[in-house]
Amino acid sequence: MVPVKLYSAIEDRTVHFRELHAKDGAPIEHRRVSSKTGREVPSERIVKGYETSRGRWVLLTDEEIKAIEAPARKAIEIEDFVPADQVDPAFYDRPYHLGVGDDGREPYAVLHAALKKAGRVGIGRVVLRGREQLVAVRAGADNLLEMSTMRYADELIDPGDVDVSAPSRTPTKQEVDMAAKLTQGLHQRFKSGDYEDEYRARVLDYLGRKAEGEDVELPEDEAPEETGDDLAAALEASVKAVRG
Amino acid sequence: MAPRSLWTGAVSFGLVNVPVTLRSATRDLQPHFHLVDSKSKTRIEIRRCCSKEGKPVDWDEVAHGHDIGGECVMVTDEELSALEPRKTRTIDIEAFVDVAEIDPVLYDHAYFVVPAGGEGAARAYRLLAQVMEEAGEAALGRFVLRTREYLAALRVRDGVITLSTLRFADELRPASALGDSRPKKARPAKKKVDQAIKLIEALGSDFDPTRYEDRHRKQVEKLVKAKRKGQEIEAPEQPETPAAVSDLMKALEESIAAVRG
Repeated sequence: MVPVKLYSAIEDRTVHFRELHAKDGAPIEHRRVSSKTGREVPSERIVKGYETSRGRWVLLTDEEIKAIEAPARKAIEIEDFVPADQVDPAFYDRPYHLGVGDDGREPYAVLHAALKKAGRVGIGRVVLRGREQLVAVRAGADNLLEMSTMRYADELIDPGDVDVSAPSRTPTKQEVDMAAKLTQGLHQRFKSGDYEDEYRARVLDYLGRKAEGEDVELPEDEAPEETGDDLAAALEASVKAVRG
Repeated sequence: MAPRSLWTGAVSFGLVNVPVTLRSATRDLQPHFHLVDSKSKTRIEIRRCCSKEGKPVDWDEVAHGHDIGGECVMVTDEELSALEPRKTRTIDIEAFVDVAEIDPVLYDHAYFVVPAGGEGAARAYRLLAQVMEEAGEAALGRFVLRTREYLAALRVRDGVITLSTLRFADELRPASALGDSRPKKARPAKKKVDQAIKLIEALGSDFDPTRYEDRHRKQVEKLVKAKRKGQEIEAPEQPETPAAVSDLMKALEESIAAVRG
């Protein structure tokens, strides 16, 4: 038993907007209307429901919905330890940091060291906001234990179900070699700090200038080019450009 | 039912442009409760109305307001995408990196990248997928979707290019934000770590995602069934927090013994 505290690992940095009516700048109101009549429904008549089949509803009170909340212990119950590299990142949903709980320094450090050395992640379950979730616990950077909620297998769409049109002629060896050269030329060590959200800064700058009444000019739009039939020529020019 | 495409544009790899669309690689199977009119038993819809005119407003008439210094600045979708016209339509591949170097904590949503267009697009797509698969690498690029920019890692799964949006470094809360709960650099006793590894190995198995059932989903279905039959639903008891173990070594030994049976 390792006592831990849960913290969200992410901070919202999105620029937030309110909805306005473009025509007159008035705020948009969200009205609750009946899907059948389109007329507004008074709030005392609105309840929660679950659609069992099309148009058939089971109505539930807040107390009844609360009753669904798993009465589990406040603990992350680890069921399996699996090799970390077997878990496709597409399974990971929301990340959390696990902080050290009361009197927990030692077991926390032991679990972190052991997970790291074994190269495994713990797969378990925890109840978050009344809902039992599948989670992965792993040894992260800065001596932190990280937890991510996970998607269930049936929530991931199988790549085999995606219709990708096959070309009538497969790429030639020359094209493959050239493309491989291009990927090598663009190879880098991944450092997350190297990438910044440039658009966020641009949006905020634009909003600031507009607030001051400035008439801001928008950049020219460039038409996207489409690669023609000559894939090899485009690749060759690209390799040259990367090599500078 | 064919999945809806969320974004249409091109993946640009050097001077090669591959027209593509993005489709979600996940499906939401979580049970959702909806607001219902108890009188007519019809679902409640949210209708956007202008607070001035009191009339319904279509989605394409909705603009975005942002408060700056007490003033509300209005911008439209057109203005937002015009700020970065290229990134709104093109995912430029900037670099290729080892997948193992990307911290799993950065992964956000997963999409499939599907070629859109004729023979040229299909062939360029196949080429990109082939070299990425052979190199065992992820391609990194950026694009703008609605009101924000995303960093994206493109990988190949079963011949299909998968795009995962990645969080930017400044969207991750640093360890220092944990204050007193932040773990310190520690060298736990080797004996205890070895014992813990033994336990981990004893509970070790291959990752088989189909083994884990969504018990919450089951629970909701059960409740709804009970309610339909008119049974009473009981409220749960309060959960308790387990206490810390006082003797870690003993706890580890007991756990291993229990697993080995």
